[in-house]
Amino acid sequence: MLYGLTLLRANHYKSYLMISIILVCGFTAFSQQQVENVSGTVTTSDTHESLPGASVVILGTTRGTTTDIEGNYQLSLQPGDSVLLFSYLGYITQSIAISNRMIVNVMLEPASTRLDEVVVIGYGTVKKTDLSGSVSSINSKDLTKITTSNPILAAQGKAAGVQITNSSGQPGSTPIVRIRGVGTFNNSAPIYVVDGVILNDISFLNSADIGSMTILKDASSTAIYGSRGANGVVMITTKQGSVGQEKTTYGYSGEVGLQMLSKKIDLLNGKEFATVSNAIKLGSYNNVDAVPNTDWQDLIYHDAPVQNHEFFASGATKSMQYYIGVGYYNQQGIIDKSGYERISFKLNNIYKLSDRLKIGNNITVSPYQQQIAPDVTYAAYRAQPLLVPYYDDGSYGVVYNVGNPLATLAYSNNENKGVRAVGNIYAELDFLKEFTFKTSFGIDGSNDKSVSFTPAYTIYNPDGTASQQQNVNSTLNKGYGDSFSWLWENTLNYNKTLGKHVLDAVAGYTMQRNTNEAVGIPAQNILRDGSSFWYISSPSYLTNTYTGIYDRVDANNYYSMISYLMRLNYVYNDRYILTATFRRDGSSKFAEGKRYGNFPSFALAWNLAQENFIKSIPLISKLKLRTSYGLIGNEKIPYDARYSQTTNVLTIFGLNAAPNAGVTYGVSGNENLIWETTQQFDVGLEVGILNDRLTAEFDYYHKTTSDILLFLSVPGYLGNGQNAKVAYNAAKVLNTGFEFNFNWKDVINRDLSYSIGILGSTLHNEVLEIGGSAGIDSVLIGGYLGNGIPVTQSRVGLPIGAFYGYQTDGIFQNQSELDAYPHSNQAGVGDLRFVDVNGDGVINGLDRTYIGSPVPKFIFGVNLTLTYKGFDFSALIQGQTGNKIFNGKEVVRPDPYNFEHHVINFWNGEGTSNTEPRPSFGGYNYTPSDYFIQDGSYARLRNITLGYTIPDRLVSRASIVNLRFYVKADNVFTLTKFTGYTPDIASENVISNGIDNGTYPVSAVYSIGVNLNF
Amino acid sequence: MKSIRNIGLLTLVILLAGSFNGCQKFLDSELQGQLTQDSYPTTASDALLATNAAYQTTRDWYYHSGGYPILDFMSDDAHKGSNPNDQLATLGPYENFTFTTTQDGLDRWWATLYLGIKRSNVVIEKVPDIAMDEVLKNRYLAEARFLRGLYYFDLVRAWGGVPLVLTLETPSKMARSTADEVYQQIIDDLTFSIDFLPKKSEYKSTDAGRATKGAAQSLLGKVYLFRKDFVNAVVYFQDVINSNEYDLEADFVNVCGVGGENGVESVFAVGALQVEGTENGGNQYANTQGVRGTPNKGWGFNRPSEDLRNSFETNDPRLELTIIDVGQVIDGITILGDGTTPDITTDENGVVIERECYNRKIWVPGTTTISEWGHYRRLILYADVLLMYAEALNENNNPGQALIYLNMVRERARAGNPDILPDITTSDKEALRTSIYNERRCELAMEGIRFWDLVRTDRATQVLGPLGFVTGKNELLPIPQNEIDISQGALIQNPNWN
Repeated sequence: MLYGLTLLRANHYKSYLMISIILVCGFTAFSQQQVENVSGTVTTSDTHESLPGASVVILGTTRGTTTDIEGNYQLSLQPGDSVLLFSYLGYITQSIAISNRMIVNVMLEPASTRLDEVVVIGYGTVKKTDLSGSVSSINSKDLTKITTSNPILAAQGKAAGVQITNSSGQPGSTPIVRIRGVGTFNNSAPIYVVDGVILNDISFLNSADIGSMTILKDASSTAIYGSRGANGVVMITTKQGSVGQEKTTYGYSGEVGLQMLSKKIDLLNGKEFATVSNAIKLGSYNNVDAVPNTDWQDLIYHDAPVQNHEFFASGATKSMQYYIGVGYYNQQGIIDKSGYERISFKLNNIYKLSDRLKIGNNITVSPYQQQIAPDVTYAAYRAQPLLVPYYDDGSYGVVYNVGNPLATLAYSNNENKGVRAVGNIYAELDFLKEFTFKTSFGIDGSNDKSVSFTPAYTIYNPDGTASQQQNVNSTLNKGYGDSFSWLWENTLNYNKTLGKHVLDAVAGYTMQRNTNEAVGIPAQNILRDGSSFWYISSPSYLTNTYTGIYDRVDANNYYSMISYLMRLNYVYNDRYILTATFRRDGSSKFAEGKRYGNFPSFALAWNLAQENFIKSIPLISKLKLRTSYGLIGNEKIPYDARYSQTTNVLTIFGLNAAPNAGVTYGVSGNENLIWETTQQFDVGLEVGILNDRLTAEFDYYHKTTSDILLFLSVPGYLGNGQNAKVAYNAAKVLNTGFEFNFNWKDVINRDLSYSIGILGSTLHNEVLEIGGSAGIDSVLIGGYLGNGIPVTQSRVGLPIGAFYGYQTDGIFQNQSELDAYPHSNQAGVGDLRFVDVNGDGVINGLDRTYIGSPVPKFIFGVNLTLTYKGFDFSALIQGQTGNKIFNGKEVVRPDPYNFEHHVINFWNGEGTSNTEPRPSFGGYNYTPSDYFIQDGSYARLRNITLGYTIPDRLVSRASIVNLRFYVKADNVFTLTKFTGYTPDIASENVISNGIDNGTYPVSAVYSIGVNLNF
Repeated sequence: MKSIRNIGLLTLVILLAGSFNGCQKFLDSELQGQLTQDSYPTTASDALLATNAAYQTTRDWYYHSGGYPILDFMSDDAHKGSNPNDQLATLGPYENFTFTTTQDGLDRWWATLYLGIKRSNVVIEKVPDIAMDEVLKNRYLAEARFLRGLYYFDLVRAWGGVPLVLTLETPSKMARSTADEVYQQIIDDLTFSIDFLPKKSEYKSTDAGRATKGAAQSLLGKVYLFRKDFVNAVVYFQDVINSNEYDLEADFVNVCGVGGENGVESVFAVGALQVEGTENGGNQYANTQGVRGTPNKGWGFNRPSEDLRNSFETNDPRLELTIIDVGQVIDGITILGDGTTPDITTDENGVVIERECYNRKIWVPGTTTISEWGHYRRLILYADVLLMYAEALNENNNPGQALIYLNMVRERARAGNPDILPDITTSDKEALRTSIYNERRCELAMEGIRFWDLVRTDRATQVLGPLGFVTGKNELLPIPQNEIDISQGALIQNPNWN
């Protein structure tokens, strides 16, 4: 049934290229012959009206014409002419192979959003007008505007209700995504559905391969993903050759950029540090003007290049569609020894085997490697400016207590390497007119290995003795990981239009299995330091001789799922829309009897714009009211929480002491665990005014998550051991918010158009119940700083991960003030005054209180575009307000470190300051308090791009369809009061969120690039 | 043709899906690489593994009174140790009895003893159903019941009546049993153990360190001693002595030292390897107390008190083998001590209240912390048995016999020097009792025995009162506050601790 490989005469070098690609991929080919004349009609695909004045050019030549008033054209051809290029302002340019035809008719699609825009939803697509749920679509063009290895980052500021935080500048790190708040104490990340394959992460995808991204937010749209929908769903379809695009389009887009530290932290310089030191201990430095001044930040950060290239070929023949792409992404970090490099192969095909049957594949294979920098950011923050990086003899200077960050960099090596393959193969069969059956088998597999190596080294004090910074034996850690999951989905679609009734139904059955294994092997005393010896086979001493090794071998995440799903979308008279979905999920993560969960949803929408009383208002072009309610689940819990497992231990017996294996009961599981369930209600309004020049969308949602899995303390006499915690369904969380999205676009004339988009969302997050009857844990403590002190408490009535600490109330200005107020016995004059919150006359742990929330109250984005002739300009401003950041890096001070600059304004006598306490190298004033709470609000110029498209007439001679050059800048400017590098402070762990522990800074990127289609 | 083929394909897919659908086993994914509790233990080799695991808790750091030797801190034998600030807030309060129901370590000790009990219960409940050699099966059961008795004995002495967990199906809400009920259970367990445990000499050399009949008899005798049932105590101590399985080490240094591991005097001890990490076979008990500074043998907790130093008779060789002083040379290693610890701390009158010194009993030769991890903690020593026997005999009005066993211990301590530690000769019950108490203090110092000795012999008020001991309260530790809170009222706190 598969088509054979038939190669006919190809008269063009590009065809040779195409053929070689096809040969490589082993698929089909096409034929071309010559005719003398060609004519046809150009119409619009939306209104089906003829299009006068459209340009028709023979590719590779300057010969061409424009369509007449009827939209007709006629051209005479010469040998070698093979492709026609149709273009009209505001419509998508199409290239069509003549393919021995005398008549070539073309329908041009409008470039702007069309009324019948199709939205990708779970297990299908729906016309935007027939959509009853709340979704945000992101334009594929916007996805490539941000230089990033992870495409989701490009959605920042583009979708209301979606908070995306790039928490680390380490190349290849994964952004943190929260859709409509945080509804669980567990994994709060959304799922990604890429061409139907359900995934947890899309770091393998090149943004340029993505055709559309839609974020599903309300219950009506997410409930079809049942137990995986509660954190939201990101739907991604990758590019495919489009039907009718008979000439192969080749594309190249490439950019190179330079990354720079966008802002330095304002720390004390040498003189200032000496001044503060003298204030702490008189006479520490006799002459503060004569001390060294090392700027450690300058030493560890440097500008670094990033480049991204994508080459693709796409098109279609009568029997197949294809998209073949290869991408290369290479980012070096602004800290040495960090970087990320990825090659992505993309192969999407659809084969039409008959009128009714087609098969297809969407495959991505991405080898990558990543170098991870050691944590020198924190060391550079702490290192005293009085210390020198190198001594006169060129050896590394000793940096007491934190280690010389340059030496740390020089001696640390951490690399991950691997390959990830994601894809599916599917078959689709149309039968009995209204039915389509689709079966799809998808996989997500990856193989990863990691190596870290530290040679033996010692940093010496000036007197020749060894400093603390040393590694006595060279150490090597190798890790191997393997994960694989497969997903088999079978769906049956029914599509029927009967007069005013439109029915679209889908039912399905899916199965999935997930496996994951990892091994880690530590070794010491490797023979040589070079990377060619980073193998366990190099004679070495394996550390952890006995059970330690078992702890590093893991067969985990082995679980399975079976699901039944259905959706009914019924539209009456283009006005009334009813959507009902249902999914029943069974997961091996739960015990028999608790295994299945049901997730129904209902939605109603009313297309008011179709009603006569609205139609009579010419101003209104679109008006839709919709509401939905449903249940969705979160199954992202540890797969083994229900099992009561055994544990392996050793006992030493024998006159020659020898380890004897032992196996006994470990911590008890909880067989009664059930799904976390979210009830979500949504009401929304969509408005279009002035023929959709102004569009607006409003949503209100109310989301309650119950039965949240918590690990609670249990009685010690159950014998689970100290601090053992057992999983229970024991918490409830509320998220509510209001979302809006305004878009104004206007075409002033043929040459000038512009658009303004403003979107925003409010967020209210509140813990409703915690612990319940299961135990004492009515408080969930988190946010542990480097010194083990926790700074968050999640309590009923507060947001998840609320900051907890002492409230300050100025500085003790004099002894009588100190005497008059309750105070800790460590407090003295000039120290922070902690508030006696409970009024018991004593300052102790009970006075710690709520001092701020890491959850923003408002998230926003502003998008601007302007096109003038060949120029295009766009800008994105994005930000959030109302959240706090806990400056954790400033709190942990076991030793004398450098200070942030504000410390220079220290209290030095009555009345000198009521905000900055007397200086100290640590101790009382560094107890976690609101002194370390900072406003996390920010507005950032996320991206600004200026592009120029070379006019068709100049490039078409070179057979170029489209050639655009651009310059752009990411993270150019951030308006914030936060003193750290960037206010992008977030954690996957929702109860340890918003704490700056000194992470790798996110950089600004300045790039130039080119897009070329030919 | 085509449509027939298509329908055929469709049917095939539906059939495939249907066959999987019917097969709900797909969701019964077994846990990989891990046994679950419902399928273990089931074989003879499982029974051995489960029994081995029940011992491991004794090597858990928390087993040793929550990690730090708080029993010695609470006695007149020791101070917290380390440098003055180290763990001052967490451990300091044990020295002067100002600790509270949330004090560091209490919950760790409590939970870990029950961890050992659960592991013992795995054997006691599951092994009887395993088809295997009956003699071996009974030995495993006896080992487990010995260990359960050992764990409960700590619980009942530390907290009094505690929840009595005897099965694996433990309700999540339990009340405390009475101390009598707990003691009765311990007696039952140890009686069973005595019946089925082999003698020390009957074990293979590779099994040295397992519970023995002698260990069970010694422990049961001790239990009766704590019950002041001297008649029964005598019976079991006598059995131990008559077994001829044990003797005193010739050299006192070997009693707790490397030379006496699995030696004649060791009735029950915790085996360990000289490797860092509990999971690798090490025991942090000695590392916690090892010399701080130079050589770096550990954290330096549990500092012998001046009162202990002064309690030794003149020229008692055991003093030097109990306390490490700075400047001393041991095994060729000069003890320099810690730079952040004052050599001598005095009160306002210039009286020495603390001197930098360390526990000699946990010393393992070497200059690193790693060797300390290999220390065998002795839980029952033959010398202890002899002294307990002497004490019980004296209480049973048999001073003549008592003197024999007391003087055996003194004779060994004398190390052949006739000028020191003369035999005790008094037959006055009171005087002999005092002699035996004093002997116990010096012989068994720094081994976590003193505090409970003072409590069980009703001397705590007199001896520890000046240190802050409150009669009617400090005989027992408070139930950890966490446990009270989690129980939501089911557990009642000990008297005077609220």
